[in-house]
Amino acid sequence: MDPKKPSPNNEPQLRDHIYDGIQEYDQKLPNWWLFTLYIAIAWFVVHWLCYYQLGLGSSDTVVIDKAMAEMQTARDKQMESISDEQLWALSRDPAAVEAGKATFMTPGMCVTCHGPDLSGMLSGAKLPGLPLNDQEWKHGGKPTEIFKIVRKGSPDITKGMAAWELVLGMKRVSEVVAFVLSHHKEGEPITRAADSPGATPAAATTAAPAPAAAATPAPAAK
Amino acid sequence: MTSTAASKVPIEFNDKVVRQFMLASIIFGVVAMLAGVFIASQLNFHQLNLAEWLTFGRLRPLHTNAAIFAFVGNMMFAGIYYSTQRLCKCRMGNDTLSAIHFWGWQLIIVAAAITLPLGLSRGKEYAELIWPINVAVAVIWVVFAVNFFLTLHKRNEPSLYVALWFYIATIVTVAMLYIVNHLSIPTSWTHSYGIFGGVQDGLVQWWYGHNAVAFFLTTPILGIMYYFLPKAAERPVYSYRLSIVHFWSLVFLYIWAGPHHLLNTALPKWLQMLGMFFSLMLWAPSWGGMLNGLLTLRGAWDKLRTDPVIKFFIAGVTFYGMATFEGPLLSIRAVNSLSHYSDWTIGHVHAGALGWNGFMAAGMFYWLAPRLWNTKLHSIALANFHFWIGTLGILLYVVAMWISGIMQGLMLNQVTADGLAVKNTFLDTLQAIRPLMGLRIIGGGMFLLGWIVMCVNLWKTIRSGTPVNEVREVAVLQRGGTDTMGVKETFFNDPTACTFGAMLLVFGWIFLPPGADIASLVCAIVFGFLAVRRFQKTSHTWALWYDSLLHNYLPFTVLTFVAVVIGGLIQIIPTVTVNSAKNVEDRIQKLYEPLELAGRDIYVSEGCYNCHSQMIRTLVPDVMRYGDYSRLGESIYDHPFQWGSKRTGPDLAREGGQRPDSWHYEHLMDPRSMSPMSNMPPYAHLNTKPFDQKTLPRKIAVLRQLGVPYPPMDGTEIKMKALEQGVKIATELKKSNIVVRPDSEMVAVIAYLQKLGQFEQPAVEEALAKKGQGVPFPLSPIIPDNGRRANGAE
Repeated sequence: MDPKKPSPNNEPQLRDHIYDGIQEYDQKLPNWWLFTLYIAIAWFVVHWLCYYQLGLGSSDTVVIDKAMAEMQTARDKQMESISDEQLWALSRDPAAVEAGKATFMTPGMCVTCHGPDLSGMLSGAKLPGLPLNDQEWKHGGKPTEIFKIVRKGSPDITKGMAAWELVLGMKRVSEVVAFVLSHHKEGEPITRAADSPGATPAAATTAAPAPAAAATPAPAAK
Repeated sequence: MTSTAASKVPIEFNDKVVRQFMLASIIFGVVAMLAGVFIASQLNFHQLNLAEWLTFGRLRPLHTNAAIFAFVGNMMFAGIYYSTQRLCKCRMGNDTLSAIHFWGWQLIIVAAAITLPLGLSRGKEYAELIWPINVAVAVIWVVFAVNFFLTLHKRNEPSLYVALWFYIATIVTVAMLYIVNHLSIPTSWTHSYGIFGGVQDGLVQWWYGHNAVAFFLTTPILGIMYYFLPKAAERPVYSYRLSIVHFWSLVFLYIWAGPHHLLNTALPKWLQMLGMFFSLMLWAPSWGGMLNGLLTLRGAWDKLRTDPVIKFFIAGVTFYGMATFEGPLLSIRAVNSLSHYSDWTIGHVHAGALGWNGFMAAGMFYWLAPRLWNTKLHSIALANFHFWIGTLGILLYVVAMWISGIMQGLMLNQVTADGLAVKNTFLDTLQAIRPLMGLRIIGGGMFLLGWIVMCVNLWKTIRSGTPVNEVREVAVLQRGGTDTMGVKETFFNDPTACTFGAMLLVFGWIFLPPGADIASLVCAIVFGFLAVRRFQKTSHTWALWYDSLLHNYLPFTVLTFVAVVIGGLIQIIPTVTVNSAKNVEDRIQKLYEPLELAGRDIYVSEGCYNCHSQMIRTLVPDVMRYGDYSRLGESIYDHPFQWGSKRTGPDLAREGGQRPDSWHYEHLMDPRSMSPMSNMPPYAHLNTKPFDQKTLPRKIAVLRQLGVPYPPMDGTEIKMKALEQGVKIATELKKSNIVVRPDSEMVAVIAYLQKLGQFEQPAVEEALAKKGQGVPFPLSPIIPDNGRRANGAE
């Protein structure tokens, strides 16, 4: 390769120095490439100015706290419509029961611990969950009490059932409860299990005695 | 400037070490890719977690370390040793150092291959190797550096070619990154705690992790491109000017981009913003490298049809361009909120690792083999086959991962009709991406097949020739104007003064208090304008200065180091030294009890962080699924931090207290008993081994040294406490008819999992008193972060 060879396509001059046979042109930088760089730099400056100097835009925590507070309000509103009567009524609605059954039977959900026949047993072996097809209820058998357990989990989650509200949402929780209730009759006797927590928790109270460790559904709660 | 009319001497290059590194790279390439295909298969077929030392959590670090340090590392050394000798017109600095470098590096790889499956790990990505190996890596790296700079010192070529600039940047930066990120205090011969914890560790880790990609997988390969591509194409490099601009902007900007791995997390927002914008600014410098590679081929495109080497280089450079376009895209916080923790990131790194590194390596090996063994390539047809099956394999891989990542991201973000609950369980989303994970296995397998074909082809090539060391007559350099530049000439001149002046003013804008910041910005703009004017007038002297800089390797190295060190200093120093209250926000995590700490160390050594994050981002879907967003204080005592980078399973930041101990027991014994269709490996072996009681006192002593406020406890007390908690858990499990030993690893891990997410809400002053060893950085009160600030800290 001859360094002084005139370039065939009107190319710019080669640099004099040759490194182990490698030559270099000294082309101008492509304009579009330069503008990509300039625009990125300008965008940084403008964005930083807007955020830190002009105060435009909200911080992440403000945005998320607001969104979660709004959700909590909507949840509280939904809760107002939940009552024993309403849940019993729902348990007679075939569509709701069918939907509840589908959720219940989804692998990894209720069926994992309570068994496909709600007996808390699977082919003779005892599963972690309690039976739901008898009349003994550890945490109360009123529909709103069942509803609360599904939503919030058992009083001490590490020794009992997990909270499902965030996973399922209010609608699917009520459908699952309707499905469970469809195995029972309104007014049937309810017995408390021998190891039931002493006092009956007030039904439909939303203030679960969650330990500090438990995730609060919304920051607004704290 | 230099006299060339000097005496000529014959020089025999040390090509033996090049051959050694090349063969090592080829072999470890097979190992790394085989491990990759295997662990990819494990994600779809959990049965492949054949034994405790063959679980995904332990093999994934093996795969990444093998790919980065064994495969690309050896390839880089082969390329550097070959080209540096020729660009310096002299033999490598010292033959003994070359040999120590080669054998030392292979020994390190073997040590890694043994320790990682044994579960000996520091628990930080690409920095998993235990501290004795870290020391060995640092020593061998220094050996390499000394050998390299010795070569520069005795070079017979006055001026440094652009490839050498990139090698210099690689050597100094990797040394800096590696040492800082591996600073730790040993607790035993196989375990240590890093000196940084929580957010500090997160920031340092990704400053390292991102720049391992930048300065281990990118800059050395760019140097290799600048040498081997014009050689193979027999064309001049497209633009010297572009080389200068893209080299300096690349090495300066790259360092800043680390925080883009922590977007939307608890990381202070100013760092997130820097991470995002510097990644965007990095796009052009990266493409500068691609352009210089691709456009060098102008006038020789016909070679693309006939020469497999050119094919690999051009495809490699194209993948580099694709990956460096995708990188800035993924760094945009909004895009990242979908892509992060998903397979999209995995696709992105493999476009780089297979497309860029893999193909550049293949091209280089096909070019080198005939020259190093004085023969012809055995089969061009086989090389072409390698090229096509490799290309198809990567494309299949990358496209599958794009779809998988975006689909899982969207599914995880879906909510129910009333908008109050998430629609899909994590397991639902896992089932949805299984076919795509299957395609990944096929794509990766195709790439591996191509690689094996290359092995055969090169084996036959080598068999047909004999190893030769090239001998050349070179003119001995008369050191007139070479390596004479002093401090004054290096720093006190227009180019450096203008650059540093403008930079200083920009930093003033970021850090100075209101009023002064705007003034600083205005000054920066005016100064920049004047600097450009000055450059236009006296560009000739700037060019002359740069030419003379290229004749002086030490000043060049110093300036390179200054360029790469700035970003790290500005991001890390405020975070490490800042008044601790800023790092706490309104919560501070509860100390791990001894048993929980033992469990945490098992969690780390099993590599759980490879699939589970512990960081709930400030995003609605994250908070809906996993609970309240994570605060900085909630991981302040975590050495190492476990925020994670990928969610193959759900986040665990608030896992504690969510489920019964018995659930965790069953789930660890057989994940599918509790989570049907899960792809998690079983951890039944935790049940048979006792947790490590012996080193617990030493571990707690080290953590105390690092500022974790453990009360003074003696060894017996610590062990007793651990056992008492173990007995408690075992008793609780007994109620569910589960029998475990109270001193088993199982109990320790359950204790740790149940602790996750527990915090206190102290007064800020109290938190300060507890962890008040921080020296306030002079600029700390004005760090521009009005987003995440400790409540009442101001």
